[in-house]
Amino acid sequence: MTALRTVKNIALCFVAVSLTAACEGNGNGSSTPTEVKTFHYSMRSSPGSLDPARVSTVSANVMVQTLYDSLYAYKYLQRPYELKPRLAAAMPEISDDGLTYTIRLKQGIRFADNRAFSNGRGREVVAEDFVYALKRHFDPDSRSVAAWIWQGRIVGLDEWKRNGADYDQPVKGLQAIDRYVLQIRLTRPYPQLVHNLAMGPSAAVPREAVEFYGREFSVNPVGSGPFRLISYDATEAVLVRNENFQREPVSLAEEGYDPITQGQYGLEVIDGRRAPFIDRLEISFIDEGSARWSSFTKGNEVQMAGVPAEQVYRVLESRDPVVLKPEYARKYHMSTEKEAGFVYTAFNMDFPETGYHPDPVRNERNRALRCAIMKARDWNARNDSWYGGLGEIFPGIIPSSVPEFDPELSRESVEYDPEGARALLAEYGWNAGNLPELVYSSQPGPTSRLFFEQFRGWLTNIGYPKEKIILKTYATFADLSKAWHNSEEQLLSLGWLLDYPDAESSLQLFYGPNRSPGSNSSNYSNPEYDRLYEATSVMQPSAERTALYRQMNRMVIDDCVVISGLSRVGIALWHKNVVALPDNNFVGGQFLQYVDVLDKAVGSAVR
Amino acid sequence: MEVLLYSLRKLLAGIPLVLGVTLISFLLIVYFGPDKTYELVGKNPTAEQIAEVRSQLGYDRPFVTRYMEYLREIVTLDFGSSESTDEKVSSILARTIPVSLLLALPGFILGNALGVLLALVAAYFRGGLVDKLIMGSAAVGMSVSYLIAIIGFQILLSSADGLDLFPVRGWDTSTPLAYIQHVTVPTLATVFVALGYNTRFYRAVIVEEMTRDHVRTARAFGIPPAKIFYRNILKNSMVPIVTRVVFSIPLIVISGSLLLESYFGIPGIGKVSYDAIITGDQPVLKAVVALTAILFVVAQLLTDICYRLVDPRVSLGASTR
Repeated sequence: MTALRTVKNIALCFVAVSLTAACEGNGNGSSTPTEVKTFHYSMRSSPGSLDPARVSTVSANVMVQTLYDSLYAYKYLQRPYELKPRLAAAMPEISDDGLTYTIRLKQGIRFADNRAFSNGRGREVVAEDFVYALKRHFDPDSRSVAAWIWQGRIVGLDEWKRNGADYDQPVKGLQAIDRYVLQIRLTRPYPQLVHNLAMGPSAAVPREAVEFYGREFSVNPVGSGPFRLISYDATEAVLVRNENFQREPVSLAEEGYDPITQGQYGLEVIDGRRAPFIDRLEISFIDEGSARWSSFTKGNEVQMAGVPAEQVYRVLESRDPVVLKPEYARKYHMSTEKEAGFVYTAFNMDFPETGYHPDPVRNERNRALRCAIMKARDWNARNDSWYGGLGEIFPGIIPSSVPEFDPELSRESVEYDPEGARALLAEYGWNAGNLPELVYSSQPGPTSRLFFEQFRGWLTNIGYPKEKIILKTYATFADLSKAWHNSEEQLLSLGWLLDYPDAESSLQLFYGPNRSPGSNSSNYSNPEYDRLYEATSVMQPSAERTALYRQMNRMVIDDCVVISGLSRVGIALWHKNVVALPDNNFVGGQFLQYVDVLDKAVGSAVR
Repeated sequence: MEVLLYSLRKLLAGIPLVLGVTLISFLLIVYFGPDKTYELVGKNPTAEQIAEVRSQLGYDRPFVTRYMEYLREIVTLDFGSSESTDEKVSSILARTIPVSLLLALPGFILGNALGVLLALVAAYFRGGLVDKLIMGSAAVGMSVSYLIAIIGFQILLSSADGLDLFPVRGWDTSTPLAYIQHVTVPTLATVFVALGYNTRFYRAVIVEEMTRDHVRTARAFGIPPAKIFYRNILKNSMVPIVTRVVFSIPLIVISGSLLLESYFGIPGIGKVSYDAIITGDQPVLKAVVALTAILFVVAQLLTDICYRLVDPRVSLGASTR
């Protein structure tokens, strides 16, 4: 019995020590000294690579914006979004023909200290770092996912790649005029360029760090952003203040502070101080809503989190306007964040059953069929079922997060009209017998299945035979992605996040030359649309351009290519001792440098 | 010397097993696994860029060439870099496997030790109230899904809505106290679910031993029940118990526990493996498959050696059990 007794003793010891630990520790296992001002943030997914050239997700963008510096940034609090210089000394000087951008850099900005530098001290950021960073996107070894942003746009950059991507060879349109002046020459006007220079992939990258770490540069980031990385794995990233980050004091007025709408967040405490205001930033990657919520409400773990959809009804007193229940309002700050993007269902026009057909009569009947399916969609039901009823439903593909949104546009395309749908089907000779099969592609899982069932329910409601609406599931998102990039799917439910506050970012989804494997997953082909897209692609923002954008939007609606759309609205909560206003739209994550944490007891900023 | 020779023979005999497992797995990975190309090409790729990425991923090379490369990686234990993070696979494994081990070990030990203990009690009182109580509880434990147990324990012991005694998530082994704080709730969830299966299995093994002639004979000789339990029943039951325990080890070392790691925010190999499967991160997947196969060969060897330790009748000679 000796062995058994030993095992029992070990078990008893373990339980006893566990309980002692639990009683003593009260669940806070952090060994962080109290004087270190720490902010615990959470994101839904792990970013993967932290290399600016590999940024392809929201969470990766947040990380890159926190670790690196770009030339421009969006003002922290200004809405609609407005650009400001970040590493640049001023907004760019643009030549009259719109082809040459001259950008002067701030002087004395240094990269974070890192052993990649010869003496371990971060050197000064210079114009050549931006030349190098942009060249990297065209170097096959970098495996950039962002080359598309500059493809065919900068004089000589594509040729540089074709000639072997030798960094010692100059690119005609991408030059450091001197240590602090960068000049970009474009092949044609590109009004979105400055927006792109605010994005993570444009961040300054030190060549010696890339060469020092090789492929592992992706997990050993070396930037000049407000924080530097201490540790990183699939569940958490720990960052600390970059001691070399010295910028101008924050001016709330210049950041677009509005005391009427933003006064409740206590942001005044950061006015006139130099960011960042915290010493340590711990970012947890928590995919599971219940775990994230438990960690947030616990009080001493995550301090800011989005409310999971299943908790929306629990925490809200009312949804319109969005008001927290008193017990939550007492403990937390709240903001609503409408995504700069939308969810939609696209028809793949390559499928003659529902898309383009060589027979003009059938072609017109297919359009009527798509329009009927569009009318059958109950957007409000989708919103209530999945987005807590908070989402913003809008017609077409230009959401209200961009200035070109048309508030006067008819909402007919997003109105639930089963009667109209049935009438349209009858008018064009569609009946249960001749309606084509619809194959709805999705990932496996209960949510996807319920999405499909809801979709099928709408269609059976207008007389579509249930057996003709088929679910096709793929094992993984990568498989589904491959299929739609190869134009193998008839019907796709997708989400799109805009890269910058310019409707061009969503209008590109229907530009003919962007067809599969590009972003035009509908494979929409309309010469007039393409002509307008090309015309507007070189136009600076103007009333004329906005009118053309809206015209293109109406074309997509009239051709019933897409069932769109809904911008999801998230609710962010954060503890009362945290001073912040979160925003992850567009280049996301810039707000983290302005976060401050107050001393709970004193109620003032810990300095 | 006998053990050494046997081990060498057994390891050599394990090579075909490793080859078979890796070949079948690699076939599945290559022909049925996710295609990572479109995650890496960006938004508006040209055909040339797609071909470039496929080439970088090695997708355009013949299967045989790729498999030979895989074998070379197994021999050198150099699996290259993750296609998702670019981090060296060896670094990922070195960082995550110890975490998974530390996470799973307490639950594994407790689950098995308590399982044997409860099985002994249940078997001793076979057919009685105690037996029914233990077996009923085991059935309840088996009926509760792992996920529910995890969420339930997390809410009960860690959340503000519950007792708020332990961290909801995170991993800290900087001090024994921090380790215990972080491992307790995952361990309880694991034990809660595993105990039912273990108890039922071990009880069946023990009851079978109890009905053997030598046990009946020992009873007839008037040997005390406790002595019979230890000498005649427990010792003879050790072969299936050892088999079950040792063969669980590779899964603990390599597979980790995806659910535990995801819900408790623990950076172990389970989550890394799962992410590699769903994203098609082949270098990581190949490493996990190969190491699992190798560990199973080692586990098989250890099992045989343990047989010899618990049952002297077992020979490690030319003909093995």
